[in-house]
Amino acid sequence: MADVPGLDKQNGVTLGRILGRTTVGEAEEGSGGKMTATIRIPEDELVYEPGVLVMPHGGILELTLINDDKNTHCAVLPSNGDTQFIWLVNHSKGTATLELDGPGYYWYGSTTGNDEGRGLTGAIVVGGQVPDEAKLDRPPQPQPDV
Amino acid sequence: MANEYVDAGTAMRYQDLSADAGSAPPVTKGVTYDRLLNARDEPQNWLTYYGAYDGQRYSPLDQINASNVDKLKPEWVYQVGSMGLHSGASTYAWEASPIVVDGIMFVSAWDGMLFALDAQTGSELWRYKHASPFDVSLCCGNVNRGVAVAEGLVFMTTLNAHIIALDAETGNKVWDKTYGDVRAGESATVAPLVVKDMVIVGSSGGEFGVRGHTDAFKRETGEHVWRCYMIPKPGEPGSDTWPADGEAWQRGGANCWITPTYDPGLNLLYYGTGNPCPDFDGGVREGDNLYTDSGVAVDADTGEIKAHFQYTPHDLWDYDSVMEHILFDLDGQKLAAHFDKNGFMYILDRTDMSAVRVAPFVDRIDWGEVDEMGNVTAKVYPDKEGDPVHFWPGPAGAKEWTHACYSPKTELLYVPVQDVGATATRRRREFKESIPYWGAGVAVDGDDQAGYVSAYDPRTGQERWRWTNDICMCSSLLATGGGLVFGGEPTGEFNAYDDSSGDLLWHFQCGSGHHSSPSSYSVDGKQYVVAPAGWGGWAEGFLPKMLGSSHGSALFAFALPD
Repeated sequence: MADVPGLDKQNGVTLGRILGRTTVGEAEEGSGGKMTATIRIPEDELVYEPGVLVMPHGGILELTLINDDKNTHCAVLPSNGDTQFIWLVNHSKGTATLELDGPGYYWYGSTTGNDEGRGLTGAIVVGGQVPDEAKLDRPPQPQPDV
Repeated sequence: MANEYVDAGTAMRYQDLSADAGSAPPVTKGVTYDRLLNARDEPQNWLTYYGAYDGQRYSPLDQINASNVDKLKPEWVYQVGSMGLHSGASTYAWEASPIVVDGIMFVSAWDGMLFALDAQTGSELWRYKHASPFDVSLCCGNVNRGVAVAEGLVFMTTLNAHIIALDAETGNKVWDKTYGDVRAGESATVAPLVVKDMVIVGSSGGEFGVRGHTDAFKRETGEHVWRCYMIPKPGEPGSDTWPADGEAWQRGGANCWITPTYDPGLNLLYYGTGNPCPDFDGGVREGDNLYTDSGVAVDADTGEIKAHFQYTPHDLWDYDSVMEHILFDLDGQKLAAHFDKNGFMYILDRTDMSAVRVAPFVDRIDWGEVDEMGNVTAKVYPDKEGDPVHFWPGPAGAKEWTHACYSPKTELLYVPVQDVGATATRRRREFKESIPYWGAGVAVDGDDQAGYVSAYDPRTGQERWRWTNDICMCSSLLATGGGLVFGGEPTGEFNAYDDSSGDLLWHFQCGSGHHSSPSSYSVDGKQYVVAPAGWGGWAEGFLPKMLGSSHGSALFAFALPD
């Protein structure tokens, strides 16, 4: 499969960064089941790092957000109850508490100007299964194999 | 200290950056089961999905009537819009029916959004947003059809098949239960129904090869009470309508994605069930395939199936029967009226679900013949692999899920009609969990179509009047004591018709198509008619000619000038 250099940087082939081609990180699960993770905005890259954050299952995620860029951004984050908003001026650090029940994945972004289009759109993936009592009463089914 | 980070604080709720008031008056605390039973005795309110358990979608309010409806104007508009990357970003639509209790409106939109509004002004009082996975399986768009209220709580289903209960004063979550498996292709779009001390929901996912079901939960706690599958397991009643040696029943469909009606005297819930799966390839599921495409009467206390009527046995056309069963009594008979996708109107005896009268309600029907008692002879259907077959009505049906209504004043049924065909080409595929399982390629006709709003006499099955349109009609209708029938067009017009003649008396262009359920209420003696406008959903399936129309996302409340 061909790849094209310059997609993973600002003002390369594209104007911004193609979404979804950044790094993958995993949330850490504490003894009480609460999950934690840190997301940074590096200087002049206009991305969240990691760009894809994986939670092993649904629940509460305590997120630390750090803006190491020399411009101001924000994060509008998914959470049951209401979307969570945090303003991130240059060189700032804050927190967000998110409730995500999954499984599935959720996009979030910096909703100022066109930060989202330039690359400041991240994903939170929630793994795991739905509770057993919610599953269909039937034998195991064939799964997609590709 | 120059290198220390600036403290950005803690993320806040997005609604705190709006004019949202943050709370609503405690109007739902007194909404008891008794009040729900007698909902039509409170014409100022729209307490439950259809306005009342009988599904008539009739408001006795008559301030707005045939003599003054031409003066009707928008009183307020509430707009939602769309933000960020969300599931079904190109298919969201506003399909809900607003609930109103003593001047407070509770209405869901799409993508897990629920709003409490001041019904007099349209001001937002609080909002709830459920985080919906971007990758959830949705056959027919990012939609939700409404909420239920009772005893201080508001109930809503979510795209990822949860039923949630919120505090009606604050929008804060009280309980949350999962009742479907998104990894199997299940989702939820249905408006819940509160019956006794339970809240009742159903599953979506009939295009993904699931086993349709309806569930009841304790209203106060979310404790699961019962589940009723609409596809029997081997050995259960109806299982002989599925291949004995196959796996077809495990993925047979029959989802309950529209709210049932309820007869408290008989203690029966009346469900319409969805298509069998795969939709168009009957060769892998020989037999009648109960209880797909059926009207099913379910005991409200136990979830046991008590009676059924199957409208389209061994469906090969995607003729879901999820649409409402309107309950009414006429000439001493307890009846249920149902307009099916297959183009026929059924008047049933709702005590045993036997047919009383069956009649066509759309001009072009060639998929099969149905006699006056509902017996089916299939004629035109996808059969040979790779062989295109055209049939009327198409899989959108002669009537979509959007609802008909009944006026006890005129004793007429009013129905939105789609006269459009489609071509299906059978393409067999193997089943894989969560992958669409249609068994055909399908293209709905573009230009060759028509729509109408028709009035039918349930005594005779005869059409009494028809208002015609050059494209399909697919918004729910609302009948009122003012002698009016309200309904919207796909092109954005919201219309009022004379309930006796079908004359178009008034219309207002809302700027986006209607695929929702208007309701009516009054506050301080002033009557309002409220209509969500927001085109989208499964438009390629029911009206591809309008696929490129603007989405929109506005809720219009109309009233007469002071």
